[in-house]
Amino acid sequence: MTIDLQHATRTAANEKAAEKEQVRVVDCDVHPVPKRGELEPFIPEPFRGLFAQRAERAGEMIYYDAPDYAHAYAMRTDTFPEDGNFAGSDPNLTFRQLIMDAGSDIAILGPTNGSSGQTAEELHALAVATNRWQDACWLDPVNNWHQRFYGSIVAAMEAPEAAAREIEHWAGHPRFCQVLINAEMRPAWGDPRYDPVWRAATRHGIPVACHLGRGRFNELPMSPVGFMTYNHDLMVSYSMLAANQIMSLIFDGVFDRFPDLRIVLIEHAFSWILPLMWRMDAMYKAQGPENGLKRKPSEYVKDHIWFTTQPLDYPEDKLELTNALEWMEADRLLLFSSDYPHWTFDDPAYIVKHIPRRMREKIMFGNALDLFGLPGQVPALAGQKRVF
Amino acid sequence: MTPQSPPRIDASVHVFFKDGADLRRHLREPFRSRGFPDPDVAWYSRPGPKYAEGTDGPDGSHPGSDPALVGRQVLDERGFDYAVLHPMSVAGILPDWHLGTALYAATNQMLAERWLESGPYADRFRGTVRVNPNDVEGAVREIERWRDHPRMVQIGLPVQTQAPYGRPYFKPLWRAACDAGMPVAFHLEMGVGITHPPTPSGPTRTYSHHAAYQPMTYIWHLLNMIAEGVFQEFPDLRVIWADGAGDMVTPFTWRMDTFGRPHLEQTPWAPRMPSDYLRDHIYFVHGLLDGPGEAEYASEWLRMTGKEDMVMFGSSYPDWQTASPQDLPSGWSARQRAKVLGGTAAGLFGIDRLVPA
Amino acid sequence: MTAEPAAERPARLARGREHVVATVGEIPPGERMIVPIGRHGVGVYNVGGRYYAIANYCPHEGGPLCHGRTHGQVVVDDGNPGGAAEVRDGEFIYCPWHQWGFELATGTTAVKPEWSIRTYPVHIRGDEIVVTG
Repeated sequence: MTIDLQHATRTAANEKAAEKEQVRVVDCDVHPVPKRGELEPFIPEPFRGLFAQRAERAGEMIYYDAPDYAHAYAMRTDTFPEDGNFAGSDPNLTFRQLIMDAGSDIAILGPTNGSSGQTAEELHALAVATNRWQDACWLDPVNNWHQRFYGSIVAAMEAPEAAAREIEHWAGHPRFCQVLINAEMRPAWGDPRYDPVWRAATRHGIPVACHLGRGRFNELPMSPVGFMTYNHDLMVSYSMLAANQIMSLIFDGVFDRFPDLRIVLIEHAFSWILPLMWRMDAMYKAQGPENGLKRKPSEYVKDHIWFTTQPLDYPEDKLELTNALEWMEADRLLLFSSDYPHWTFDDPAYIVKHIPRRMREKIMFGNALDLFGLPGQVPALAGQKRVF
Repeated sequence: MTPQSPPRIDASVHVFFKDGADLRRHLREPFRSRGFPDPDVAWYSRPGPKYAEGTDGPDGSHPGSDPALVGRQVLDERGFDYAVLHPMSVAGILPDWHLGTALYAATNQMLAERWLESGPYADRFRGTVRVNPNDVEGAVREIERWRDHPRMVQIGLPVQTQAPYGRPYFKPLWRAACDAGMPVAFHLEMGVGITHPPTPSGPTRTYSHHAAYQPMTYIWHLLNMIAEGVFQEFPDLRVIWADGAGDMVTPFTWRMDTFGRPHLEQTPWAPRMPSDYLRDHIYFVHGLLDGPGEAEYASEWLRMTGKEDMVMFGSSYPDWQTASPQDLPSGWSARQRAKVLGGTAAGLFGIDRLVPA
Repeated sequence: MTAEPAAERPARLARGREHVVATVGEIPPGERMIVPIGRHGVGVYNVGGRYYAIANYCPHEGGPLCHGRTHGQVVVDDGNPGGAAEVRDGEFIYCPWHQWGFELATGTTAVKPEWSIRTYPVHIRGDEIVVTG
């Protein structure tokens, strides 16, 4: 049935080949995963053998489990393809559910293939494999016939020099529009050891996006007061990790060292940036430019940092959210995202209703088109949902 | 002051021993001869003075150690009726919990004798019973020892812990606090000791980053205490986050409610929406870094999430970030200002009138 | 798996009256059928011989509610290792998107009764399951 629909849609697209449609929704957080056995050929040896050996008899690896995990696996349960592979493994199903049915016109893929690695070398090998797999299995002309998928250059921050080489390797690829790193690595991003990554990204004008990785040790945020108990308190407090990375980027002068650096925080929530900007500005006012900062911290945020909308956290009184969006100048900060196919999926038609009318075009697509240099028009698809 | 208006209360004044020798005189052996850090030892030291100008005690004694000077500066010169004293300490982050408990006992003894029971301002000072979360049984005994002291009004715990305060082994502390009818105030411990790094990404590189980030540490405790059902099990428990950053409670409450809605199935011991546990349980001392400052929407922001009933003025005297009432946003309504400057604290601590306790 | 209607897009049935949606044997205990009543369809559930009908639409973000899993409700039970137990097995439907749960009988949530979803009266007439919607 999937194939039939794809065929039908493709035929329809061919018929309307000349017809283009305005991009109205750019979805900045979409998760593809490899089908069983699909990633392995791309992993360089000796890591392929090592990972295979490590995976032997190893089953479920979750801790901090989302609700009903043993049945839902932290996914939208209607996103599992019929072939028995995992949610997000079928480019055609993603296309149908997200592009056609939900109305995301462009999907920026952010693969998070876990951190089976124990060393910087292993994590880098996994990043290399993920990029080759994305290029071959999602961004290729067959699976991306509709030209709606863009990808991420996955880079291992644990190995900054190798990560920079990986960025150089893929820069210029027409369908990779961002660098993707994990959020958790210690020390924080202001440390000069990461400069090669920022240098490579800015040299090619590519934004650096960061997603949470939820691994172990260095890949799991350790709070200053010990570990949380549940998925609930862990995931809510995850925003404190992103808050800290922002403070490190600013107070450690990264945006002064790299004035063209643009950072995208994916799935870290965002309403906390409002009081955090006040807090940083107050400290700047009290302490002065301790570190040679040239501007108020909130100005760095508004010029260099973007947040994805999912998860959209809202109060009981929606007017409070509207006010907060105005106060933080959300039209300068936000990029729409759905998080498909994860269970925390936000439907674009639902999100758009929560955004003040005057901000909708920028948040739903305008900011992303500018930031990533994406086309404002794409080949039309007959029967595709138009969100707004 | 009209009879109807609440007393003006400074909800957080930091007090100290005069010096290391003064502390040791309050300790018995074998603890008097032990080694432990001074509160002013800091991994992150502010570039610039650590304490507000003119707060040094007589004969070079520590700022915040002389009751007469503190009373004059905090109460008389700033026009406050009462001050809640919160002794600063390193005891809660020492590896040897026996030593920590002994240090807190000495601190409480000093506070009672020197500040609450003698001197010209004793009837206007209120005290904090400092207890050790690494010695829950000892902490409960210390609470029992002081609970009937008429001027001890709150329990004091360090923010830095090895596990978040929702964990079940802390329950005897909450039970004892409720039995004593005292709120529990959490403040960052000074000095150095066995703490996790101050951020999830390890140590910071600058003081600005560190000092702006660390007051938000309470967020982990609060999230964990709500999800673990602490406020469900102890409906009388009232907690005060004394390092500021109360403004962060709004986004984190939105987040905890929105994300938490389906998670309540995993935590039947906390069956209500997380935001339902804030009212009458959660209080903050206002911090100088807390926003939005002079914004036209300051009043609306304070109203959101019920913060206008949670935030209390506290000077944090004699810290370099010592706050004054004129530092509060001018956009607050008169009603909000009155609550923050004493109304809320009067209810919380049971300080109703200018009658000596 | 629970029973599905055979047709892909059956014509919508008229609202506000009785609909014979199935015979008793077609929805065995523990199963459900989604029938074309209203804009999004209605899930008809057999929970241990009791029948319920609830809108196939989650009030949160519009997810297809009845494609989720039914199970019970978690309560505190200090007598159980772990301190919790699940009771009233099968009487709640949990959305396949965000796992919001609703009581089949009332359409309400334990957490906030005002977040509720429409339910429909069901009765058995002879061998037929009749939904009023």
